[in-house]
Amino acid sequence: MKNLTGETIETMLAAQGVPLAAGRGERLAVGVNALNVVDRLREKLPFETDPATYLAVLKK
Amino acid sequence: MSEPATLTLAEARARLQRRELSPAELLDSCRARIERWQKRTNAFISTEMRFPGADTGALAGIPLAHKDMFYRAGKVSNCGSKIRKGWVAPQTAAVIERLDAAGALDIGALNMAEFAYGPTGHNDHWGDCCNPWNPDYITGGSSSGSGAAVAARLVFGALGSDTGGSVRLPASACGVTGLKTTWSRVPLGGAMPLSHSLDTIGPLARSAEDCALLFSTIAATRVDLSPRPMKVVTSSGWIERNAHAEVATAVLGARKVFTEAKEIEPPEFDLLSAHCLTVMQSEASAQHAQWMRTRSQDYSSAVRVRLEAGFAIPAAQYLEVLRLRSIWLEQWKKALGDADAYLCPAIAVPIPTREETGVHGGPETARRLADVTRLTRWVNYLGVPSLVLPCGFDSRGLPIGMQLVGRPFGEEALLAAGHAYQRETDWHARMPKE
Repeated sequence: MKNLTGETIETMLAAQGVPLAAGRGERLAVGVNALNVVDRLREKLPFETDPATYLAVLKK
Repeated sequence: MSEPATLTLAEARARLQRRELSPAELLDSCRARIERWQKRTNAFISTEMRFPGADTGALAGIPLAHKDMFYRAGKVSNCGSKIRKGWVAPQTAAVIERLDAAGALDIGALNMAEFAYGPTGHNDHWGDCCNPWNPDYITGGSSSGSGAAVAARLVFGALGSDTGGSVRLPASACGVTGLKTTWSRVPLGGAMPLSHSLDTIGPLARSAEDCALLFSTIAATRVDLSPRPMKVVTSSGWIERNAHAEVATAVLGARKVFTEAKEIEPPEFDLLSAHCLTVMQSEASAQHAQWMRTRSQDYSSAVRVRLEAGFAIPAAQYLEVLRLRSIWLEQWKKALGDADAYLCPAIAVPIPTREETGVHGGPETARRLADVTRLTRWVNYLGVPSLVLPCGFDSRGLPIGMQLVGRPFGEEALLAAGHAYQRETDWHARMPKE
């Protein structure tokens, strides 16, 4: 997967109407890209699973 | 007799019931201690009496105070912020209604991280909350005032919220007992939201027995603490390699109190923490979107940066992480097997100073914050309960906390295990010196 650049992040925030100091996108990119991690369970995720499935598993 | 405020909640309750103490004596004792400790800890935002208690109920006559984010109709909830400074709540939180019905007093509002979005206890708007064991050090956050007030024996218990560790970090750093509840177990209505998929409410108190009394009230349930065989699992090799030596020794030393302690592979702490942050940042930024568009200058720089980050997480990534949550929870249940809890540190490193983790902390600040939160966020992603208990002190005289992480809705087993541990040890009974 490709990382987001600082410039992309600045554009994303501007599109949502959130002000961002010049050059801040670069700093945010480090943290945001660190969250896009490889998860071995992604490949096992059944197609029908949605976020609400969690509640059923929690209560099972 | 020693100061009544230094009793545990359970002891104070028993003495009230036997009429050996009056509610007025308890309240006066707490207020006298607040007077002496407030300047050193900055635990209270307000000492206005919010609810005078009642003559009957499971907590009748017990002085409590709560994080300044649990609304009470007609009273101010500042939420640790500039934006909500002086905001008067239109409704009362469900948990506060339950504590009122149980007869507890609500004697003030406690300091907290701005909008509950910080792990240390720093607050640019209301002043940092300081650790009662040594004010140079962090209290942990975001329920900073709750940890400090309970540790300094200013109140018998306090509510906190836990979205990424906000009950457990202050419990650990301040040397008190704190319960992070199962997601959805305790009603969130009338509590300030941060991240709706992760937010939980739980008590901080002086013992597991005290936490059980508060938990049974806010969750409207019964808790049986009677002795039973307790099985724990742990990953001692990982802890020895990754935690500070003093922390590892204190935490692993607790194994001998339990009936059985088996080894398992460590959970994927860092991966699950990243997933937790993806959810937390996405949801918190959505929650704050209007103010971020119009009043971003009114946030502290630390909170503003966290909120900005959430706007850069793609929606598909956020939702995929939420879809993955159910299979990670299945994996957790399998890993726990027939054990009651997983034993690990609450904070794997020595507690840092406020300076080291504040705006002047330098380039190492981000790493220090990541070290502090490394072992709490994974629990929020899974949504399971966790009890933090004091289990020792480091060479600087600061508390060390252990964490017992359970299965969904397994709070009773954790509290019973904590109670059994505290019958064998006295770490929870130690108090910071004035």
